[in-house]
Amino acid sequence: MSAEISENLEELRELSQKAEAGEKGGRAQLRSAVAKCSPEVIAEASDIAQRAQAMLTKTISASEPLMEEALEARLALMREEIAGEDASPLEILLTERVVAGWLLVEVLEGLISAQFYKRAPKSSRVPPSYTLQMSRILESATRRYLATIRELARVRKLQAGAPPAQVNTQVNILRG
Amino acid sequence: MALERRDGNLYYYRSVRDGEKVRKVYWGSGELARIAHEREIMNRALREHERRESAKELERMEALAAPVLALSEAAEILVRAHLIACGYHRHKGEYRRARGEARST
Repeated sequence: MSAEISENLEELRELSQKAEAGEKGGRAQLRSAVAKCSPEVIAEASDIAQRAQAMLTKTISASEPLMEEALEARLALMREEIAGEDASPLEILLTERVVAGWLLVEVLEGLISAQFYKRAPKSSRVPPSYTLQMSRILESATRRYLATIRELARVRKLQAGAPPAQVNTQVNILRG
Repeated sequence: MALERRDGNLYYYRSVRDGEKVRKVYWGSGELARIAHEREIMNRALREHERRESAKELERMEALAAPVLALSEAAEILVRAHLIACGYHRHKGEYRRARGEARST
């Protein structure tokens, strides 16, 4: 990430904390910073998402063109389904995050399961301590992936201004 | 591990850790000592090779995860900033709208 964007993000983080703490004028300051930085941060984050996707699809498809293309088509479909129609820039960013997270989890799972494959050449196997470390990376990636889905759902719910849904089910048991 | 030559004979010793101390334990002499020594050198080289391979594999995984983590962090900060700027606040991990604030995100 470029130094300028990192600075912008750091500024947004600080302003969010100040506004949340109830500092006078904090929210207005944050609002103007969000309006100023958002397009650049979203553009840079999308760039990162593209790069991440290229790296991950190459790894999972072992640079096989057909597999790479199929995977890209699947990702495009996922993106379309998740973002839906008239998605806001924030929703698009979160969609990118969900798709990249899904792909990373798939790649890591593939790499780890290769370690357990019986016929894998001995030279490509790693000791159990490293498999454990890899599993930790996978665990963290899975956690982030699920958190992103929750975040996207939360943003949508808040955008819709819908009250939290509550479903009550009544079951009547008739005694005959 | 050490191969020692004394009075024209070969003796092989292994180092064994005993708590804080390292003891030198006699293993064998003559041709057997040489074979044991060479086998140990080979095993050590193999372990070193495995360690390097594992580190490389781990580095590869971390490199794959790095851009996704960067994206994740950026999105997290931006979403939080957007929501707070739009009048929401966090309450026990949930975002709620403060009274009298704008609704749209």
